[in-house]
Amino acid sequence: MLVEVEHLSKTFGEFRAVDDVSFGIEPGEIIGMLGPNGAGKTTTIHMVLGLITPSSGHISIFGKSMATHRGEILEKVNFTSPYSTFPFRLTVLENLKVFARIYNLKKPRERIDQQLERFGITKLRDKAISGLSSGENTRVGLCKAFLNDPELLLLDEPTAYLDPEIAWQVKNALLDAQREKGTTILYTSHNMDEVERMCNRIIFLHHGKVIAAGSPIEITQAILEEEREEPALEEVFMRLVKGKAA
Amino acid sequence: MKLHRVNAVIARHVYESRRNFDRVVDTLWWPTLDVVLWGFFSIYLTHGKGLQVSIVSLMLGAAILWTMFYSFQRDMAVAFIDDLWCRNLINLFSTPLMLSEYMAGIIVVCILKVMVGLLAASTIAWAAWSFDIWPWLPKFIPYIANLLVFSLAIGIAITGMIFRYSTKIQALAWGFAGLLMPVSCIFYPVSSLPKWLQDIAWMMPTAHSFEGMRQVLAGKGFSPLHFWWGAGLNVVYFASALMFFGWIFEKARSRGLLVKQE
Repeated sequence: MLVEVEHLSKTFGEFRAVDDVSFGIEPGEIIGMLGPNGAGKTTTIHMVLGLITPSSGHISIFGKSMATHRGEILEKVNFTSPYSTFPFRLTVLENLKVFARIYNLKKPRERIDQQLERFGITKLRDKAISGLSSGENTRVGLCKAFLNDPELLLLDEPTAYLDPEIAWQVKNALLDAQREKGTTILYTSHNMDEVERMCNRIIFLHHGKVIAAGSPIEITQAILEEEREEPALEEVFMRLVKGKAA
Repeated sequence: MKLHRVNAVIARHVYESRRNFDRVVDTLWWPTLDVVLWGFFSIYLTHGKGLQVSIVSLMLGAAILWTMFYSFQRDMAVAFIDDLWCRNLINLFSTPLMLSEYMAGIIVVCILKVMVGLLAASTIAWAAWSFDIWPWLPKFIPYIANLLVFSLAIGIAITGMIFRYSTKIQALAWGFAGLLMPVSCIFYPVSSLPKWLQDIAWMMPTAHSFEGMRQVLAGKGFSPLHFWWGAGLNVVYFASALMFFGWIFEKARSRGLLVKQE
């Protein structure tokens, strides 16, 4: 297993945001983490990254404990979320240069230019972040996420704010990374079609608990409690939101 | 601690300083304004008041050193607030960057900014009032070191509090040093305070530094007593600030405050 999460829980005061969550990710897998707002997806990703300390449970990545080898693990991991931004006054290039230094990249400028081209924002290189649209900012985040050629990529709604054409480009870039370099990806999204297309396996969270895990078709059958030939994650999601599967 | 990651934090804030007019004002405007203001005031005091000309040196020397102290503490907290305002902490701390590397980078940037401010203030003092602080600086260095260590301790403590309570208390970054000003005895001796305030003043490394500096300017030489008292107090304050910061950072991480960023 590349990632092993065992009995992970997080409480904020009386509120139990994540409740005894366990899952594993094999190298090269693309895993989708789905669930309604407040299901615990982002909190789980933040705990995997060490940004939030778990109340209990254990996370190991590359066979090492996150609690004791955080720095070493994060050298080979990257993350992006459209909800985090970059220093507004710095240009795209300056921001990416800062992260290139953090990862101590050889030939940083070359690497940055490759990512800018990959996500179609080369022309924005010398533009300040404050002048970018939300979608452009999301793409800068994706450039940052690919800078260190990560073995594990954690993506929190990576296609939010993107128009369909750019979202399609981004999905292809992720699939290419998985095919060519065997990048393992943990992915949260509200876009069910996207998850069906992208992910080998899905973890469905609700009220902080894993309520189903498996392929899109397995999840569909487990939640809807009926035989289906095609995945219907949209329907699964609606069922959950209405509380019928809780 | 990895040097390339410290360099990354330095680069981030150097880029910011180049592009953010607020930071240019912080670095150059306030030190210059302080020196101009205190320069005119001390000239006024010497004219027709029977006061010694050395009052100009005392006032300007004190103004320059206080500006260094205040700028260092403010810039540390503001550097952190800059990352908080633009929601960059989640990006930074989802990398291998360690908290100690982040703080080390900010400290280096603050030292660079203080040097730029010192250069600007001392140039104005020299050009306008022929007060040349540079020959005095070697004798001031022990006191300046104490001032900077104390401002570092305060900057660390305030940054820790902003980690915990977020931008709700960001005004402390600009205002906290002002609280210490009366008991730091920048422009007057500790003996001019009421007795109960004197006791508080002697607990401030700043008061010891300014007393020591006045002795040097009065030609009484270096005061080891004031230096060592200041240094001893700094050990206590600095160690307390580090422990407080480590504790509060872990608390913030446990409460998920690092990712809330408001």
